[in-house]
Amino acid sequence: MAESLSAVNIVKRYGGVVALSDGNLDVKTGEVVALIGANGSGKSTMSKVINGVVVLDGGQLLLDQSPVHLSSPLAAKKLGIATVFQELSLIPQMTVSENIWLTREPMTNWGTVSAKQVREKTKELLSLFEGTFKTALKPDDVVASLPPDEKQIIEILKAMSLDPWLMILDEATASLDSRQVQRLFELVQNWKDQGKAVIFVSHRMEEIFRIADRYSVLRNGKTVGEGKMSDVTEKKLVELMIEKESIFEYARMELTAADFVDKPVCLEVKNIQTSTLDDVSFKVHEGEIVGIGGLRGQGQRDLLLSIFGDSRYQGSVRLYGEETNFRHPRKAMKKGIALVPGDRAREGLLYIRSILENLQLPSWSRYGFPLKVGRAKRDAKTVGQSLNLVMAGLKEPVSSLSGGNAQKVVIGKWLMRKPTLFLLDDPTKGVDVGTKAEFYALLTQLCEEGRTILFYSSDEEELIGLSDRVLVMFDGQIRTELRGEALNKENLIAASLGATNGVAQ
Amino acid sequence: MKKRWNWDFLMSRYPAFFPLLLLAVVIVLNLVLQPNMFDLETLNGNMRVFLPLILVSVGQAVVLLGGGIDISVGGIVSIVNTILATRVGLEGSPELMWRYVIISIVVGLLAGAINGFFIAFLRLQPIITTYATSFLYFGLALFILPNPGGGIPADIASLYRTSAPLGIPLAFYVIALLLLIWIFVSSTRYGKYLFAVGGKPEAAYETAVPVTWMQFSTYVVAGFMSALAGIALTMLSGSGNAEIGESMTLNSITAAVIGGNAFSGGLGGVAGPIMGALTLSFIQNIISFADIDTWWETLVKASIIVAALAAPGTIDLFRRRRS
Repeated sequence: MAESLSAVNIVKRYGGVVALSDGNLDVKTGEVVALIGANGSGKSTMSKVINGVVVLDGGQLLLDQSPVHLSSPLAAKKLGIATVFQELSLIPQMTVSENIWLTREPMTNWGTVSAKQVREKTKELLSLFEGTFKTALKPDDVVASLPPDEKQIIEILKAMSLDPWLMILDEATASLDSRQVQRLFELVQNWKDQGKAVIFVSHRMEEIFRIADRYSVLRNGKTVGEGKMSDVTEKKLVELMIEKESIFEYARMELTAADFVDKPVCLEVKNIQTSTLDDVSFKVHEGEIVGIGGLRGQGQRDLLLSIFGDSRYQGSVRLYGEETNFRHPRKAMKKGIALVPGDRAREGLLYIRSILENLQLPSWSRYGFPLKVGRAKRDAKTVGQSLNLVMAGLKEPVSSLSGGNAQKVVIGKWLMRKPTLFLLDDPTKGVDVGTKAEFYALLTQLCEEGRTILFYSSDEEELIGLSDRVLVMFDGQIRTELRGEALNKENLIAASLGATNGVAQ
Repeated sequence: MKKRWNWDFLMSRYPAFFPLLLLAVVIVLNLVLQPNMFDLETLNGNMRVFLPLILVSVGQAVVLLGGGIDISVGGIVSIVNTILATRVGLEGSPELMWRYVIISIVVGLLAGAINGFFIAFLRLQPIITTYATSFLYFGLALFILPNPGGGIPADIASLYRTSAPLGIPLAFYVIALLLLIWIFVSSTRYGKYLFAVGGKPEAAYETAVPVTWMQFSTYVVAGFMSALAGIALTMLSGSGNAEIGESMTLNSITAAVIGGNAFSGGLGGVAGPIMGALTLSFIQNIISFADIDTWWETLVKASIIVAALAAPGTIDLFRRRRS
């Protein structure tokens, strides 16, 4: 078994996007290293480089000081590196024991898998988390039928069953409850005592301070700080994660919350509950821009989809005082709600179809039968011009547009319907700086016209610059609301990580 | 313990449960229309006709389990049929016949390997690739035997048609062998990999399962099973026809789906599809015994198949409504 692994100057590109430009990480036996960073800083890419899921484009991996090439997960496994994947590597249709022992099944002399041994060894592993399961978890249960926390534990046990010298825990605690986290940390402590190494990727400050010996901070694909946990404070870590110089300039008028109190309440969400949301309530006044913050995957998407009628929920959503109860997005559209989805390519656009078709998709019903195509074209052109859409013509497919312009088409198709409430899911993801500025101007202008905007963004600058206030989500709940002076980067990041100290409410 | 034996559990853990119900229904119907169906002669007469489809369906089932689909199985059946009918001939010796049986199997494996190479290694769409190669295979069959004809020696054909060791038709031995092999395979590592690759290929890859080779192998298995079906069909008909396999492709897919194998892969087995193939064949039987006007035959048959396919989903829908 090896004793240390170093990643030096790692570079990884996905297409044209640079995920890691200078990633560094050292880990040796008997210690836990926390890998920390904001959204999109390259944490997951870093762990995928180390476990062979992606092949690096530059830099080196050193195992006990000598270079190694990890071409596949199998290669990493052979070197004793195991991973608990954030997006679980379990096969839903297979049972707990089949999943844990996949590729390493104990065999009988007949060349078949020994069901008895598998069951016994699985029971042994399950007993490590004995008492923390909500259901009577059995080796023969199908994984698809398990709740998220138990799936996560199976994923952890699967990695443990490899008996690796280096374990990568990528957001392994995200869906665990406190008792299960406690049990995991006891196990991690054991591994450390046995001379194993752990890379702990997490968003939760409290856990990082509890378990890690050293830290390594990533920012925009670069490692910007490394050191001992004992020499650092929460505040210092947050500072490291934040880009110092701000390029953001915003034109939003300085308004205080008081300005909206006499405006009517546009949207009122009360005690919404879904599989990912836990009792969310808030109000948005007409003409307000409210941001939703927090790390990715804390329930923001589900919240927007619920309001749009695309996801079932328990609780109440009111639009101008009227209970909505949308069962289908069509109903929400009719009431003047628009949703700009997070995954532009999959949910927002028909890539191979023309710009005209995409712009008019939600509005064709207004053009009669047979369609008054001439008028549709004129309307589409007007919207295109007002958005400064750079295109060769309305007939061109959307796939011919750049990311920013494609996003303009997504927004444009809703603008044609003149909605009163805009829901936007990370609208500037993968959009260039110039277009971003145009979006900000557009959103600000829409609000001045009396439309209301509720948007999630993974970009802290954007949330701070654009929003009147920001609701920070953590674990499916709105943990903190930031407004006015308190709406700054330090508070926002600290609140996203679930930390509460140092946040002025 | 009680909770474990509810409908959902049975459906998810024993995918062959529903096809078994369905098979029981069609057997009862068939028995009403054909009271002597369990006489050895009638039973053998039925089973020898059903066997080729069962063989193809097992191959199709394996491909579906691995997350793919094979539209070219009928083409492979046709090639094998035309090779045997033209090369062996009515006057051929048994040695010649067995030599070409082996060649047929090699041809089937090769055809499957071509499919597998395109799909697993070049990462082409299974449905398009095998649709394209099906023309290749049917075309080859037509090239070998442009007009129906040829044949194999009658005594070899009758070996298939009338063999019933210990008073049980040959087909039952084949089915039993298939099931035994499947029980063995599904408890080997290969079987576990198959379910993993069909269930969630990305997760299987991250767990270091050889995904590409697994996908490749499923098409080779399908090619092999199609070759066996082609041999059985040739012995049944005793002659050659390049179009003989045409109906088998869609029938095998239908049989596998009735048998509980999911199109999305990773769910099902081989016992279900065998029952599915039997069900389909019995439906054909029932229709010919029910004195249905030939004009209506296709429509009636199709309606029954659609109903059978829709049944599990419909039951699910009602269950959801109720809860």
